[in-house]
Amino acid sequence: MGAVSKKFNILDNNAGGDGSADKNKIVLRTRVSLARNFTDKKFVSTSSNEEKRSLLEEVKKHIENAKNFKDFKFYRIKELKKLQRDLLFRDYMIDTEISGKMQGSGLFARNGLNGAGITAIIVNNEDHINIQSVCPGLNIYKAYDEVAKIEKYYEKKFNFAFDKDLGYLTASPFNLGTALRVTAIAHLPVLSLSSGISDLLKRMGKIGCQIKGYFIDSPEAAGNLFEIFNQYTLGKDEKEILDITNLICLNIAEEEKSARDQLKKKDLLGIKDNVCRSFGLLKYAKILSYEESVELLSIMKIGKDLDIIEGVNDFDFFRLMDKISNSRIIVDMEIGGKIDSDYIDSIRAGIIRKEIMKEAG
Amino acid sequence: MKCDLCNNNEATIYLIKIQDSTVKRINICEECAKKYSFLGDEDFHNDFTDILYEFFGEGSRPVSKRIKKIWGNLSYRRNQKCPYCGIDLKTIKKTGLVGCSNCYRELGDVLLPLIKNIQGTLENKSKIPVNTTEKIRAEVSIRNLRHKLQNEILVENFEEAARIRDKIKILENNINGRSE
Repeated sequence: MGAVSKKFNILDNNAGGDGSADKNKIVLRTRVSLARNFTDKKFVSTSSNEEKRSLLEEVKKHIENAKNFKDFKFYRIKELKKLQRDLLFRDYMIDTEISGKMQGSGLFARNGLNGAGITAIIVNNEDHINIQSVCPGLNIYKAYDEVAKIEKYYEKKFNFAFDKDLGYLTASPFNLGTALRVTAIAHLPVLSLSSGISDLLKRMGKIGCQIKGYFIDSPEAAGNLFEIFNQYTLGKDEKEILDITNLICLNIAEEEKSARDQLKKKDLLGIKDNVCRSFGLLKYAKILSYEESVELLSIMKIGKDLDIIEGVNDFDFFRLMDKISNSRIIVDMEIGGKIDSDYIDSIRAGIIRKEIMKEAG
Repeated sequence: MKCDLCNNNEATIYLIKIQDSTVKRINICEECAKKYSFLGDEDFHNDFTDILYEFFGEGSRPVSKRIKKIWGNLSYRRNQKCPYCGIDLKTIKKTGLVGCSNCYRELGDVLLPLIKNIQGTLENKSKIPVNTTEKIRAEVSIRNLRHKLQNEILVENFEEAARIRDKIKILENNINGRSE
């Protein structure tokens, strides 16, 4: 057992530091979600369409009657276009398995569906309700506050299914207990190059966090984007989960930062070369696929973070990724009929130029 | 003797389970013991290969490899049904979702070991909903007090321990009084 039982203490690693600006350069988004089910009602997987619809109406009634929720817009999932559903799927609000059975599924989104950075209540997806909030940067506590406020409101209106040993009862045993999932999306281009990442993985597993590539279908993390999230929901209280995930994110941001500093010292010319080549491609390419764009923007972002490139705007990598995704381009540009992929790729190249080049080419 | 779980390997570990007044003996092989984390949480949860597998394997949402693997390992003798919502274990295994809040109690024999495997514990520490019954509230308090009691005994603070013990007794009497 020796090595195994040796506890990893993240506090020893001087995680916090003063790099609050750096942490938000490295951690791009924070998402917090809470799942709840009502007592004496079947869970979504076994309830009839009629039962789902009546539950949705009940949840809806309480939102519409509340002053604090005036800015929430309501959508019935089955009435959304497929592309909009794709976007929601990507933002985790619905999952594909269930989007086939969308009867009675609904979504309340603060300020509507435009772009990332929203608070939403999802009804009849996996659980009766799932409250979720996304914040820019590393903002775990703020996102949790947002979610907790809504939960508190519903807590008074409904009885939540709860068990003294298993906590809040959820459809999936993976969410039992607090039913709280904290996810941070981090940009780790240098750490993922070095051997540091495997060491990181090892330590994270020990303290109950997991890390995986952000993109669904890419085995090697495309765009060097990773998701860091709490592995366990049971056996810890809400605060512990928030604190641990926050500390881990700070720690990872710190390690990425120092890896970047080291690389800058060791091979400044190499990075500059890489960044400038990517700059050239982004500036002059007329057709850019999504995958290539994400890779190039990832490099551009390091250039910007390390302050080694001129003529580029400070850009929100995560927001831009959303903006240049196929579904978003088609929805935003209202492209109808047969979709030509070169056409989409050329629009994408144009959007990127406009967004990041100081003098749009 | 063959393993009760996989029915394949020779069982080398014997678990005696005492629940209420019934005693059950379970024979398991080393492989299954590891799989179901009977060999200790630390051994299981620090499994680095698992994390690497998760990381380098093709990640697919919403069901990750780890989740698939854990569900894949779920085994049961009889395809029991939950009397409240009618879902059976086969469907739960397939979808990864239970059918209602009673499933966890009704199918606990099969689901609780799985939860232990997933979460590493069966002891909730979350906040308690405001609309909880007094009974659950008292049960949670008792459990927390028991923890405290253990700690006080460990540090040999017997006066405090006695005080906590009395508190537990009062709470227990309250619960029993209510239910009778």
